[in-house]
Amino acid sequence: MQTTKKTILVILLFSCCIMAPFPVWAGDAAAPATIDALKDKILAMEQEAAVLEEENRGMMKMLKEMEDDDVYLVVDTESNRLTMRKGKTILLTAVVGTGSRQFVKEETGRNWYFETPTGSLTVLGKERNPVWIRPDWSYVEENMPVPPENDPDRIVRGVLGKYALILGNGYKIHGTKYTELLGTHFTHGCISVGDKDLETLYRSVKIGTKVYIY
Amino acid sequence: MKSKAACLLLLLSLLFMGMDGNGQEQDERNELLEQQNVLKEKIETLRREQDFLLFERALYATDSKYLIINLGAKRGQLKYKNRVLKDFRFTGSANLAKDALKPGTVTLTKKREYPGQRHVLFFGRSLVIQWKPPASSPYAENISRISLSKRDFQSIFYAIEKGAKAYIMR
Repeated sequence: MQTTKKTILVILLFSCCIMAPFPVWAGDAAAPATIDALKDKILAMEQEAAVLEEENRGMMKMLKEMEDDDVYLVVDTESNRLTMRKGKTILLTAVVGTGSRQFVKEETGRNWYFETPTGSLTVLGKERNPVWIRPDWSYVEENMPVPPENDPDRIVRGVLGKYALILGNGYKIHGTKYTELLGTHFTHGCISVGDKDLETLYRSVKIGTKVYIY
Repeated sequence: MKSKAACLLLLLSLLFMGMDGNGQEQDERNELLEQQNVLKEKIETLRREQDFLLFERALYATDSKYLIINLGAKRGQLKYKNRVLKDFRFTGSANLAKDALKPGTVTLTKKREYPGQRHVLFFGRSLVIQWKPPASSPYAENISRISLSKRDFQSIFYAIEKGAKAYIMR
């Protein structure tokens, strides 16, 4: 009798030890999700991932279509650098001169502020051996009398380098005689470039090329 | 005595049979849980990717310049629409490595000019972009900071306006 009791006790103890790690057997209230529930959840997650993948593919395609492989120019007026880019590639980095950020006043009250315009501009034209038509401020700056509008004295050759890219409103990307000033703010608003870089720009840039100035 | 032993044997075999079945179930459950974790991670990655794509799409339609800050690569870009205007490198404060800055969009809330061109760009309380900190530090020590070269910082400081967006990537 004593042996029987002992055997039963051993069996009970053994069963408890085996059952303890398995809450289903142990009747645990916080039972984990059933296999089927897990499978359902995974199926739902797979569907969600598929939808997200599809949406992302669509958006990437749309963004890709917005991209183009055109050359464009970027002018940083703070550091006086011009970069020519195509897609993610930098084709050229040039040290340039930009607007002096200075005022010139005329006795009559007229005044000018020499700043390179910022924003998104377009190359409107290309010139070889550009001619500079001296504007009024150029005379005022040098305390010279301002000649009439079409005075031939206003036509100056050889000061803008061999090429110019026209940006509109009188602004251009052109060469300069003052190459030692490149990298500083010294122009009247145009973007001055060294001879070699100017030639590269002239050959690479088309009419319609975008120019981003900031 | 023999019947008792038989009983015990039967009971034990029943017990082990049950355990074997449950072991298989446990294996399957573990496999499913593993699969679930992989999917969870995948969905998280896809959501982040989508968030960035939505950001790029939205910024393409606006007329303002914005920044992409890649904390992992310690590189950034100044962009306008889909065009890169400037690439730059930066160094980050110690807390950047500790996931202090979450991926996503931050907005430029303040541009402050300080003597010695030590200006600061504040993106709320999430991020500060600077060249060198001003003499009297205007922000809490625990705010995430990234530092650029003087030239890069000056360019960016004047290129973006209050309200400009930056996207943080890890």
